[in-house]
Amino acid sequence: MNIKIIAFGQIAEITGKELMLKAEDLDFLKRDLMKKFPELSDKKLAFAVNKKLVQNNVTFNENDVVALMPPYSGG
Amino acid sequence: MENHNERYVRHYALSDFGFEGQQKLLNAKVLVIGAGGLGCPVLQYLDASGIGTIGIVDHDVISLSNLQRQTLYSTDDVGKKKVEVAFQKLQQLNPEININIYPLELTSKNAWEIISDYEIIVDCTDNFSTRYLINDACVLLEKPLIFGAIYKYEGQVAVFNANPKIENRINYRHLFPNPPRPEEVQSCNEVGVLGVLPGIIGMMQANEVIKLITGLGEILDGKLLTFNMLNYEIFTVDISNENSVENLIPKNREAFELTDYNFLCGISSKNIEDLSPDDFIKKISDENTMTIDVREIGELPKSDFEHIQIPLSELKDKFSEIKNDNLILFCQSGKRSLKAAEILLEHFGNQKKISHLKGGITALQQRKNGKND
Repeated sequence: MNIKIIAFGQIAEITGKELMLKAEDLDFLKRDLMKKFPELSDKKLAFAVNKKLVQNNVTFNENDVVALMPPYSGG
Repeated sequence: MENHNERYVRHYALSDFGFEGQQKLLNAKVLVIGAGGLGCPVLQYLDASGIGTIGIVDHDVISLSNLQRQTLYSTDDVGKKKVEVAFQKLQQLNPEININIYPLELTSKNAWEIISDYEIIVDCTDNFSTRYLINDACVLLEKPLIFGAIYKYEGQVAVFNANPKIENRINYRHLFPNPPRPEEVQSCNEVGVLGVLPGIIGMMQANEVIKLITGLGEILDGKLLTFNMLNYEIFTVDISNENSVENLIPKNREAFELTDYNFLCGISSKNIEDLSPDDFIKKISDENTMTIDVREIGELPKSDFEHIQIPLSELKDKFSEIKNDNLILFCQSGKRSLKAAEILLEHFGNQKKISHLKGGITALQQRKNGKND
C-alpha cells in the first residue's frame, strides 16, 4: 500500500514534512521509519491514521495518511 | 434588562450567547496555571470576558526576554512577580471580577487543594513535569482541562476530561502515556519561539474555556488540534481511549501527593530495579517470577537457567504472553534489557515488578570466571 506520512514539530526536522512509503500495516511502517531515520528511536511520538490516534497495530488501505505527532511542552 | 452591565453589551447582543451566556461566565471559576506566553492572552481574554473568579498560579518573576511575547507585562515590571503584576493589570482591565493569586510552584503537595477550588483548569505551563502533574490531578478531581502547548511555529490545543460520560473521557496520557525523557524533546528555552504563536494558541484556549462554560459550538473534547502559523494549516486528530492509562495515574489523593513528577520526567527508570549478577541468580528462582531473554533469536551464549525468550523487537506484540508479577529481563550487555524494562513499565505501569540484569550476560560470565580462578 502507498502511505502518505505527515510529520509535525521536531519529527518533521528529521523526516521532512511529508513523504510517501509503502507498508501493509502500522507496525511495519514504524520499523521502516526507524530504519530510514534511526534518530526517531530516541523520540517520543504518537501515530494518527486518517486523523485518528492509534495505540495498537492497524492494517492499511491504499493512500492512508499517517501523522507523526510529537509532544510539545512550550508555553 | 435587570443587572444590565454596559461592559458586556456586545456579549448580550450576540445571538446564542446573550444575557444568559454572560451570566454563566460570571458564575464560573477558572484556574490558569502559568502566567507566561500562553497564560497572558488566556488571562487577558478571560478577565475581559467577565469570568467571575480567576485563579493564577506562577512562581516566576518577569524577565526582559519574556516581554517579546508576555503581553501583560511592561519594561518597568522586570524583576517583579508575574502573579502580582498580572493581578494589577487584570484588575484595571476588569475590577468587577475576583482574582486569586498563588505565587508558588505547583507541586503534587499543593496542587490538590488549589485545583479543587476551581471548575475548569487551563494548562499554560512550559514543562512536562507540571503538565503530567496537572493532567493526573484533573483526572482524579474530574476537572475539565484546557491544554495548550507550543513548539517553534506550531501549537497544540486540546480539551481533556470534559465529556459528561466518564467512560468517554480522554486525558493527556491517552496521547502520550508517559513523560518524555529530557533527551527526547527540546525545551522552548533552547529552540526559541515567535512571539505571536503563544498569543494565537492562548486565545484558542480562552475560546475553548468560554465555549465550554456557555455550551456554544463544539469544544475540542478528546481531540488534539495542531496549528501551523506559517501556512495556517490546522490538523485535528481524534484521541482514542481504547488503551487504558489508569495504571499510570495515581489511584487517589494520597498516592498523587507522593508522586515525584520532576523525577518521572528526568528518568523513567525509578521503578526498574538493577540486579547485580549475584542478585540475579538469587532472584530468578523466586516464586511467580518470569525471566526473559530479550536478545534476538540465535544470539549466543545460550543460558543454562530457566527462562523464556522474547526478542526486544517483538516485545510490543507479546505483552499477553507476560503473565507473572515479577519480571527479570536480561540481554548481552544490559542495554536492551533496560530498554525492554522501560517498554514493559510503560505498558504495565506499577502492576508488575520489573528488574533487569545490569551488565547483562557479559557481567554474569565475568562473575563465573572470577569464581573459577
